[in-house]
Amino acid sequence: MSRAVRILLTQRIALLAVLIVAVVVTFFVNDAGGYLTAPYDFDYMSAALITAVPLAMLGLAEMLVILSGRGGIDLSVGAIVSLAGMVFGFAYGEWGWPLWLAILATAGFGALLGAVNGFLVSYIGFPALIATLATFYAYKSVAIVINDQQPISTEPIQKLFSISRSVELPLFGQYVPDVPLGIFTFLLPTVVAVWVLLARTAYGRRLYAIGTNDVAARWAGLPVKDTRFKAYVYAGLISGLVAVVTVGQFASARPDAGVSGNGMALPAITIAVLGGVAITGGIGRVAGVVLATLLIVWLNAGILLAFVGNEGSQYQLLALGAVLVFAALLNGLTNRKYGGSAS
Amino acid sequence: MTAVAEAKIKKRVLPSPVTGQEMVLVGVIAVLWAALAVSTPAFLTAGSIQPLLVATAPVALIGVGMTIVIITGGIDVSVGGAIMVCSVLTAKALVEAEVGLAVAVLLSVAAGALLGLVNGVLIAYGRVHAIIITFGTANLFMFLGLRIFGSGTVNGIPGTLAFFGRGPDGRTLGVPHAFLITVLITAAAWWWLRHTAGGRHFFAIGGDAQAARLAGVRVQRRVLLAYVLTGLLVGLASCFVIAQGTSTLDQSVGAGKELAVIAAVVIGGTSIMGGRGSVLGTLLGALLVQSVASGVTQLGWRSQLSDLFVGIFIIVAVGADLLRARARRNR
Amino acid sequence: MTDETTPRLRLTAISKRFGAVRAIQHADFTVRAGKVHALVGENGAGKSTMIKIVAGAETADSGRIEFEGVAAEIKSTTDAIGLGIATVYQEPQLFPELTVAENIFLGRELKKAGRVDWAAQNAKVVELLELLGLPERYATAEVGTLSVAEQQQVSIAKALAADAKVLILDEPSAILTDAEIEVLFDVVRRLTAAGVAVIYISHRLDELFRIADEVTVMRDGRTIGTYPNKDLSVRQIAHLMVGEELSDARPHREVPEGPAALELRGLGRTGKFRDVDVTVRAGEIVALYGLVGSGVSEIAACVYGIDRATHGQLLVDSTQVTIKNPEHAQRLGIALLPANRKVEGMFGFQSIAFNISTGHLRLLSKLGVWVDRAREKAVALRLIERLAVKTPHERQPISAMSGGNAQKVILARQLVERPRVLVLAEPTQGVDVGAKEEIHRLITELAEEGTAVLVVTSDLPEALRIADRIQVVRGGTTTDEFGPDASQVDLLAAAAGGSE
Repeated sequence: MSRAVRILLTQRIALLAVLIVAVVVTFFVNDAGGYLTAPYDFDYMSAALITAVPLAMLGLAEMLVILSGRGGIDLSVGAIVSLAGMVFGFAYGEWGWPLWLAILATAGFGALLGAVNGFLVSYIGFPALIATLATFYAYKSVAIVINDQQPISTEPIQKLFSISRSVELPLFGQYVPDVPLGIFTFLLPTVVAVWVLLARTAYGRRLYAIGTNDVAARWAGLPVKDTRFKAYVYAGLISGLVAVVTVGQFASARPDAGVSGNGMALPAITIAVLGGVAITGGIGRVAGVVLATLLIVWLNAGILLAFVGNEGSQYQLLALGAVLVFAALLNGLTNRKYGGSAS
Repeated sequence: MTAVAEAKIKKRVLPSPVTGQEMVLVGVIAVLWAALAVSTPAFLTAGSIQPLLVATAPVALIGVGMTIVIITGGIDVSVGGAIMVCSVLTAKALVEAEVGLAVAVLLSVAAGALLGLVNGVLIAYGRVHAIIITFGTANLFMFLGLRIFGSGTVNGIPGTLAFFGRGPDGRTLGVPHAFLITVLITAAAWWWLRHTAGGRHFFAIGGDAQAARLAGVRVQRRVLLAYVLTGLLVGLASCFVIAQGTSTLDQSVGAGKELAVIAAVVIGGTSIMGGRGSVLGTLLGALLVQSVASGVTQLGWRSQLSDLFVGIFIIVAVGADLLRARARRNR
Repeated sequence: MTDETTPRLRLTAISKRFGAVRAIQHADFTVRAGKVHALVGENGAGKSTMIKIVAGAETADSGRIEFEGVAAEIKSTTDAIGLGIATVYQEPQLFPELTVAENIFLGRELKKAGRVDWAAQNAKVVELLELLGLPERYATAEVGTLSVAEQQQVSIAKALAADAKVLILDEPSAILTDAEIEVLFDVVRRLTAAGVAVIYISHRLDELFRIADEVTVMRDGRTIGTYPNKDLSVRQIAHLMVGEELSDARPHREVPEGPAALELRGLGRTGKFRDVDVTVRAGEIVALYGLVGSGVSEIAACVYGIDRATHGQLLVDSTQVTIKNPEHAQRLGIALLPANRKVEGMFGFQSIAFNISTGHLRLLSKLGVWVDRAREKAVALRLIERLAVKTPHERQPISAMSGGNAQKVILARQLVERPRVLVLAEPTQGVDVGAKEEIHRLITELAEEGTAVLVVTSDLPEALRIADRIQVVRGGTTTDEFGPDASQVDLLAAAAGGSE
């Protein structure tokens, strides 16, 4: 028993898996009891995954920069989504570039914006919070001014909405629910790429090393600055891809896509922390971020059915905040009780 | 050294009351105002300066608390959500219970203090990084705010709070009350941080919390106090926000304000790493940001362009500080 | 004032164990008002434990402490401060953003009507600064703007502001230049003239002769004796510290004659060290032996490209090179074991394999991109076996390991690419006896295989035990050279600066 408790407290992935099962079972039971406004079934859960695409991708982007240590964080991801989205709108919607080239250019542009963050943080020595706060304002402003506050929703852009639709899987597709296309075109490739980068490449090793102890990394002959710089570039690149996804979902390149309301940075950081990424750097896994996203997405989807009208979206805030505070306090507790992992 | 100079040194018991960064900010604001006065003659009129000062007040006021929080090495990204809670609560009280000015202010301030207490307890005693906790409470506060809103907007807010507003009731001898109160509170905080043991301890905590504890500073209580103070000021600032708006309060109230406040604090020369900072700088930072926003509108540019300048100011202000620190290390 | 015959502080029959280790056994120590009392001993002799007991950071297991003739209990640092015992540690614990006056009064500010009474505080601080020979304008200077030496004096002022009756100075000279040491001595003399009892700890024996009234020598956790300073010579103290010389029956190694693998010619770095000449041949073990603060660790950092040398030449395989960074040093075939394992060596919560392979990813990956996990594991297992690292598997996090085992893992990292020049900074610091033995054996093996080994150490028996030649570093430069049959006393006397 105590061993099980200990595993749940120290192994974030186990805890998230248990919580996901608990959430899904709870809503299934509620559904069976007729307390929900619409059925909570596998079809519904699958359709809800469309919201997981930007959330998980930006969560992974935040994970890369937080892993790099020295207070790594990126407040500007939402602003990059806005600005890169406008660039995509111009390239694909106005200038008529081929889709692949427009996507490539958008991702590259996102990487460039990330490089500005990385340069300020890694080579000049800005605290990441400050540098990305500044670029958040700058990118956000340029995104709005660049097309005189007007969204771009020309015909090619509107047709892009198709990437948000659900598709039947080949071979065994008729036995399982249809899945949103964005999962395959954007999310899965990103998840796999980031996992490979972190778990299989020399760069991933270096990133964990500098995040764990950047003094020791220097004594071990690692290119500390270069490695940290690239983490921000990759975060920008992923944000650029999210820009494409977001333009597709809205069927319009909106100048405030990533910064309206609370923006996209806060939920992304929340997902990363919930997924077990240590804010001090050096600890964090792709699986944690993916599971944290699923937990939040399916919890939110259930909440929407449990309440009438906009109450649902309000209770989603409660759930997100409560889960984050709970996870943070749990981190503090396990660090004290089990000698913890954070330095 | 002359006897006069020596006597002067003996008399001076603290470092210079105004930092280099603050002098630079005063200079930049002066140049900016002069440039705007030349390019748009309407700028240097009461009709233009008064709204500028009124609009500066909420951010600068919360900035006082945020400065103290950041000096201790913390941060509070939940103030946007807290503004929403305080302002909707107060607006409802004004509309439905028709409370008076004093009760409204008291209610708002008490609500803010309570929210600050939640942050403070979790951060001081939960041993969790402030940014994570306040990201979490930001969501909780927004939930609370939206629940109180109920549906859509709060309509028909009476002019009870006009004392803090833009209109003629909000001014004495041409000076907006909201700005005057902000200046007075900033001055009091400046004195408190500079001249009392309790105030100085915030700096020690930000410098090295462990060493401060060994020296006999009650670290946890001080940290708690910093967040409660920020909450109190959020409460008062929310009254300003209601008074400055129309008779309708919508759900976007407070959104993004946490970053605006942090930007003002950082431009004012407070170090995000803790241990160093000044509320005077924060007031100047907030004034600079608002001046740019006002200037951009008056020049007929798109208002969102001012955010680009905010970003540039942050980079320049902090970058100059980094270079200075580097020069000091290499000396 | 207390009676002259009653000591300010007297410790009798103090013992302290840490687990199975007897750190101190039946030690006696007496400190008198107005006197400077030096405490000397080799690394691990028990000096620092003794000081911690006096300062309240550790509690003695048994023994008696008397303060001004009255039995006293020191259970915490607060108790010690209450008695008037103040400690100035090597690294000043100050707040750089606060002024000198604020630092001195932090936590016990003088107040007037609710506010800090700056005038009263400053008046008191100016008085203290005068006593310390610092300009009074420093009272309002931010501590961060002062030099390290001045910061140390601020720490002393802080101790004095609390009306210290006993002042402990722990290695105060280690971070100071010669001129700054003069100032420190001046300060100490003024304090003793004012009746303060000073406990002075230093590795530099030559200093003690200029400042101490009495010397207490510790060895293996025991106090060997207390002597009036004037009765002793540096050689005699060195003898007392070292004790009976063990005839270390080390087989004399045949050192191959050959070209130098690493050569430092007049190497220097402004403010750190100068005119350093060292040659290490392939297959040879050379020790750079110097006391804390002698500049010996800074030399190692320069050889490895952490810092840049400002003067002189550095030759690798007889070719002059300017080493840009550690990566460059590695490409030249130089590996370095850092001195501070936790800060400069370990990736705490990562696995053993991670800790070994990091820094050699170019070698252990395909095309420089994909980590070759099979090879990484093979390399890790080979080195775990060769270094006899005690662990169930290579995936164990290094933070969970003992000091000796962790040190072996960090050492293993240096051996992945079979370096031609291996620099070892304090290779056995904080390592248990068994692991120490094994690490020494390994160093010898590596030399036998043709590696040029430079051991940078402040551990005297270690230098004698493994080195073929020993180069003494004192005052930031290389001075004397000794063979492996030199006596500990000779070496200590040379390094502590009293061979005259």
